[in-house]
Amino acid sequence: MKAPRALVLVSNDPASVERGSEDVFRALQAEIRGHHLQEEIKVSTISSVGERDDLPLVMIYPEGVVYSPITADDVRLLVEEHLIQGHIVRSLVGRMRESVGEIAWLRARSGVLPVQQRIVLGRVGLVDPESLDDYLIHDGYAALGKALFEMTPQQVIADVDNSGLQGRGGAGFPTGRKWEFVRGAQGSPKYIICNADESEPGTFKDRMVIEGDPFSLIEAMTIAAYAVGAEAGYIYIRGEYKLGFKRLENAIHQAEERGLLGDKIFGKDFNFHIHLHAGAGAYICGEETALIESIEGKRGQPRARPPYPPTYGVWGKPTAVNNVETLANVPPIIRNGGEWYHQFGTEKSRGTKVYTIMGNVNFTGVIEVPLGITLREVIDIYGQGMKKGGKLKLVQTGGSSGSIVPASLQDTPMDFESWRKAGVSLGSGALLICDERTCVVDLAKTILNFFHYECCAKCVPCRMGTHRLYEIMNDISIGRGTFESLAEIQSLGLDMEILSNCGLGQTASVAVRDILKHFRTEVEEHIRDGVCRAGVCKITPTPIYAPHEAVIR
Amino acid sequence: MINLKINDTVLDVKEGTTILNAAASVGIYIPTLCYHKDLSPFGGCRFCAVEVTGARLPMTACNTPVAPQMRVLTDSPTVIRYRQAILRMLLANYYDAGYKRHNGKFVMDEDNELIRFAKEYGVDVASAMAKHPRFLVDSDPNPYVWVDRNKCIQCLRCVRACAEVQGRFVWSQSYRGYQARIVAGDDSTMLASRCESCGACVVYCPTGALDNKMSVHKGQADKLVRTTCTYCGVGCQLDLNVKDGKIIRVTSEADGGSFNGLHLCVKGRYGYEFIHHPRRHSKPRVREYLLKGEARPAAGRGKLVDVDWDTALDIVAKKFKQVCADGAQIGVLASGHLLNEESYLVNKLARQALGTNNVDTASNLYFHNETDGLLDSLGLPAMSNSLDDIAANAQAFFVIGSNLTEQHPVFGARVRQNILRRKVKMIVASPDFFNIEEYAALSLRHNRGTEAALVNGLMNIILEKGWENKDALKKYPNGFKEAKAIIDGYTPKRVAELTGVPAEQLYAAAEILASHHPAAVLWGIGITDPEATHALANLQLLLGNLGQAGGGVNPLRAQNNSQGASDMGCSPEFLPGYGRVSDANARGKFEQAWGSPIRTEAGMNSVRMVEAAGEGKVRALYIVGEDILNTSPEAADFRKNLEACEFVVLQEMAFSETTRYADVILPDVSFAEKTGTFTSTERRVQMVHQAIEPLGEAKPDWQILAELGKRLAAGWDYASPAQIMDEIAALTPIYAGISHDRLSRGERLQWPVESKAHNGTPILPLGLFGEVSWSAAEKIE
Repeated sequence: MKAPRALVLVSNDPASVERGSEDVFRALQAEIRGHHLQEEIKVSTISSVGERDDLPLVMIYPEGVVYSPITADDVRLLVEEHLIQGHIVRSLVGRMRESVGEIAWLRARSGVLPVQQRIVLGRVGLVDPESLDDYLIHDGYAALGKALFEMTPQQVIADVDNSGLQGRGGAGFPTGRKWEFVRGAQGSPKYIICNADESEPGTFKDRMVIEGDPFSLIEAMTIAAYAVGAEAGYIYIRGEYKLGFKRLENAIHQAEERGLLGDKIFGKDFNFHIHLHAGAGAYICGEETALIESIEGKRGQPRARPPYPPTYGVWGKPTAVNNVETLANVPPIIRNGGEWYHQFGTEKSRGTKVYTIMGNVNFTGVIEVPLGITLREVIDIYGQGMKKGGKLKLVQTGGSSGSIVPASLQDTPMDFESWRKAGVSLGSGALLICDERTCVVDLAKTILNFFHYECCAKCVPCRMGTHRLYEIMNDISIGRGTFESLAEIQSLGLDMEILSNCGLGQTASVAVRDILKHFRTEVEEHIRDGVCRAGVCKITPTPIYAPHEAVIR
Repeated sequence: MINLKINDTVLDVKEGTTILNAAASVGIYIPTLCYHKDLSPFGGCRFCAVEVTGARLPMTACNTPVAPQMRVLTDSPTVIRYRQAILRMLLANYYDAGYKRHNGKFVMDEDNELIRFAKEYGVDVASAMAKHPRFLVDSDPNPYVWVDRNKCIQCLRCVRACAEVQGRFVWSQSYRGYQARIVAGDDSTMLASRCESCGACVVYCPTGALDNKMSVHKGQADKLVRTTCTYCGVGCQLDLNVKDGKIIRVTSEADGGSFNGLHLCVKGRYGYEFIHHPRRHSKPRVREYLLKGEARPAAGRGKLVDVDWDTALDIVAKKFKQVCADGAQIGVLASGHLLNEESYLVNKLARQALGTNNVDTASNLYFHNETDGLLDSLGLPAMSNSLDDIAANAQAFFVIGSNLTEQHPVFGARVRQNILRRKVKMIVASPDFFNIEEYAALSLRHNRGTEAALVNGLMNIILEKGWENKDALKKYPNGFKEAKAIIDGYTPKRVAELTGVPAEQLYAAAEILASHHPAAVLWGIGITDPEATHALANLQLLLGNLGQAGGGVNPLRAQNNSQGASDMGCSPEFLPGYGRVSDANARGKFEQAWGSPIRTEAGMNSVRMVEAAGEGKVRALYIVGEDILNTSPEAADFRKNLEACEFVVLQEMAFSETTRYADVILPDVSFAEKTGTFTSTERRVQMVHQAIEPLGEAKPDWQILAELGKRLAAGWDYASPAQIMDEIAALTPIYAGISHDRLSRGERLQWPVESKAHNGTPILPLGLFGEVSWSAAEKIE
């Protein structure tokens, strides 16, 4: 197989499609075929180009030139000038502008963004996600081949265990140990589930892998299946990831056609089938047991644990549930050996972590860096500093269920160990970076509104607690709060943490309690003075003050 | 075994036991709300959370299995605080509009589990309760179930009860978070969501969010009376809730030693209004011409006049005596709803006082007796196995000619439960669609009346494939050759033509039956001839499913005491206990006890009696407790025959179609007003206890029969049903050990009960009354 000499990417996000990117794509294919260049030049699509108005855009590699906006009429010029003659068509080159998503990383390689350590996202943006050939050229299926021909399942597990890989879904459970449990569990058949129900607000790390490098997920699941002795697997993908679904479907199909998936993989006596299952918009289905219930066709509500999925998972059989990011780490580990992985991260937290940076920083998007760097580094280097005029106030880590980290903790290294010690959860790797224009009451209200809406209603503490907490924060934000309700937040929040059935209820009150811990004065100002420092809360109805509490504003 | 410590008690329990059950085994009580022992654990309410030393968080006792060396605290101050917190949260979502009524006043519901717990744990209900309602009270049009979502705490017991007890899946939880609520179907009404109104959801509801609509305003009962349901042969045990002499509610008890436990069907739970129906007879009534001593009017029978009991009974006795003296025939028809004691008296009245064998159950007018044919093939006059046993042990069900979920709803639901839980395979054969088919692995849609051919076809395939049970054939060789000759004629091709069931389905059915052992055959009144019964008996002989748990031939008797009526000799051919009238030995005992000879030739069956009444051969009919016109498939003929009959005595509760043709009406009472026994389809003899006084001047049938008997013959001094049962026990070997005392003590007895010390026979031995033989399963044309 020959590697193409050029790669042309056409943006196909909804906005581009609306502006005719599909016509551009077809015209490019026709034009290239017309010049008999289809063997040399690959045409593919790229989604998630960020918020731009000059769409659709066309990128040509290896030069990395971005043309925009492009219509089907421009295609002929592009092909003849750029792809055949090798001249950049100045008149069509897009404006330089700040953008997010995949384009931002591409720019990173040209030196605009600081260097990252890419293991999980190593191929994302480089390969055509819809081509198995392209994947194979870029070390694809080398890991599975090595596992199947040179290693026993036990050796695979030992290697993963030795690497120190921990689950990237948030809990940080050692992956090797999980696989060991599943392998040793009674019952058959066994299952592998890839948890791709990435619903944590502001988290898009898995999406990058699914949309940008779907084959690596398929390969990783096949390796996992070989290791634990599973014959079937499910990918439970968030329903809104339509493009991801399509690409995974295509990847599964192509892998099956080549004998890399299905019966007799690599001609060996090893069968593995993958079923793709789209979620239906419930946040709770990202919880592994609710996800399993959902796969079984039931209402997505978490199960009681124990028994845990490794012994009693989907259809009551031993099941390994792994996050997308976790799985994406597996092929490189197998390819290079567990020892190799030790060079990244810290002693107790090996490897890299994919973070989604959002909020009031100059760069927002997805980065992959070694575990153990500090928040300050992320903000200053990768986020390129706070937005003009802003000063760091707080960071929420790990999505809605994560903790609120005040600016004072920004020098704590971000790894499982140190953060656990600091009482902070690393969670999904979302980093919501807020400056002083953010009101903590409003933030808490927004977070609680989310939980209040997403609670599955199975258990009482979560169902009633999320609602009551939201009510309280809403009251405070419109100037009807009371000091008693602050005490209620503490006690109710603690009851929720202790008595809830699953992680959602257990962590739903974390953010609001953190806010009370670090920013109590600001919350009290809302209640006592009817003042929102950040000017976010609309405290319109004049609060009814007791005479001795009345203040002059 | 796993060793653990709960509070201060060290114990060993089996692996997989939950903390809750482990605690219960040493008498430690952990309160629960969403948990119910009949339902799968859910773990939603978190009320049973207990402290486990070493665990990060408290664990719910209802669904956490014990672990070695676990140390559990069930009533530490922390745990009590958890419970209070949960109760406060639950109450914050609970709003009681106060529509319950007590002594005429509207009150809050204090008789539900949630409120009782709140009081126990010192949570003030008034302050913790929601301040406003969120939903419509009584929001569902179901006539029996009251839905008030304001009181719902989302324990989802109703959802699980509907799915796991009734197998109907009407309820589910919908919406999320605080908006979550229970909904019927796709948030429509219960009946539109395939609800069968069994009321299981109501029983399991811990807050009164679901309630019995007919009873919501009725208040607390004065007393509960345990009795036996009067609808079908299953024989559910129920408690009549009585207040001020009225039945206000029907409940049942989990540990009542009954087949049904907490479960009942719509008929048993809600069909009690007939007891207080305004059209009931309050006094005996006779036609005016009889009082005046005139001849019967040419058209119709004239006016009905209220009289006292003596007058009415004297008229009847006089007329019966006169007919007997004329050497003419009298026919006696008894309902399958009468008590055993009453059925026995009916049989005695006919055979002793009226000197005739013309006595039969009236139900034979409109359906075939389900057990017919079993006596001459297997020597059994009843179902061979028990309901519990079939449900729990059968590996396959073959249901033929039975609308299981409507005719025997509680048993039908149990069959569904076992199909869901144990994945039992079921074959349903029926000419029409029946609800139970939804659970069938295979449905056979055969042509009407081809049941025998269908079963013969299955046996043909079983023999062809060599799937028969060789041991059983060796054990019961009697008549096999003749039977096989018939079976050989029923090739799959021919059977497919006869029955309309494709041959491949026949093969599939035969394979299921042959590969699942034991398989139970169940049938109801859809089996319409003895040949089909023979074929089913042959099938079970062939498969070796007889005489063992989970198998057997199981005719499900339609009426609650069809079995008892047959046992008690309400039959033209059989004496109580299945002795034939032609058998001198069988007769002798009764002749001696009753002090008069019994006729040796079999009498007329009920169909023949009514016909003969029209022909003038039967001059008087005595109908006990049956509206034969309304239940008959040939009402026009019946009307003609009854009109022609010289003298019709009708014993009934309320005005009916048949009333028009009666000369004398003797008002009897419902099952709630009398004491005695019923025998269920599984031969279980169960007590009926009087709950309320007879309404008006109505009397229990046994009293009426005894009064009439007294006027006609000697030996009719009966003071109580218990005394009658003692007489039955003395004369009928299969009932020998049965007495009201034993039954009232809660003993569960299935006949034959050989002596006072014998505990009954759950599975009938083959050949109880005669030889076991293969029988001709084909009509000889």
